[in-house]
Amino acid sequence: MNLTDMELQGRCQRFLDAQPHMRKLGLNVVGACPYQVTIELPVQETLFSGQANTYMHGGVLTTMVDHASSAATLCALEDYELCPTLDLRIDHMSRPAQDMPLYVEAECYRVTRKVLFTRATVYQLTTEQPIAYAISTFMRPDPGTTDPAFKAMIEGRSQTNHGAQHD
Amino acid sequence: MIEQPIDSLVAKAHRDGEYQPLIDLIPYARIIGVECQRYGEEMIFRLPRNPDNIGNPTLPALHGGVIASFMELTAVFQLMLQQHTPTPPKIIDFSVDYMRAGLDKDTFAICEIARQGRRVSNCSVIAWQDKKRQPIASARAHFLIDQR
Repeated sequence: MNLTDMELQGRCQRFLDAQPHMRKLGLNVVGACPYQVTIELPVQETLFSGQANTYMHGGVLTTMVDHASSAATLCALEDYELCPTLDLRIDHMSRPAQDMPLYVEAECYRVTRKVLFTRATVYQLTTEQPIAYAISTFMRPDPGTTDPAFKAMIEGRSQTNHGAQHD
Repeated sequence: MIEQPIDSLVAKAHRDGEYQPLIDLIPYARIIGVECQRYGEEMIFRLPRNPDNIGNPTLPALHGGVIASFMELTAVFQLMLQQHTPTPPKIIDFSVDYMRAGLDKDTFAICEIARQGRRVSNCSVIAWQDKKRQPIASARAHFLIDQR
């Protein structure tokens, strides 16, 4: 991996910014390094439930984990490839507190010619006290099939560069 | 925090045939725009086309996480509507297989409770867009049920 942590974080940030749903949820990339990324969901009143305190994160956590796992694939490949998700499994260990930010640390731990494997931990205080664990697999596209303009944008090579400054 | 028992809200929803107040209890369901229609015994959940739910802007396609969350919420609501428990079911695990890209259009989902134990429910969910026989994703999940 010839990319620096800052370059990887820039890629992950542009990837996040390019997705309307991620902007809507207000997720942040808080750190990246080769094969790994950490995403934050800040505390948001719109996600609070006055009625059923018990299930305020229902669904949100799934979306976050899916996104973080996908971002981890960006940190494992030299050139950006749009990799569709094959499957995702999440085990829920404990219930998150709604007044604290949620973090997902995701790692792409194995890269093969066709498939990428990721694992992720959701936590609030430390990864030693997990809210959830997840594993996921992604399919690598055939060479040259990723949209060139989108690839250039994620890699930070185009004029329509959203967000983080590199190059 | 006012916690109204879920079973009384469920009874009201069935009585009025109006499920939106129940769905709106879960903020994220409201954010992505989950809706529900009852056809006799069957509940069909709908996720109307919404530009805010896009994940892949190049196709454009729905965010995979949104599809998975929609399916998870489908199972949660199905259990709430079917089981008359005082609190929402608590998720234990969730697993989704993606089969086709979810395009920028309405998505539907249906949940089948494969096994209802005393404490745990096993659910399977499928999601589709044009044809139910060509699902975009299938999922299964376990939930803990709070029995009185």
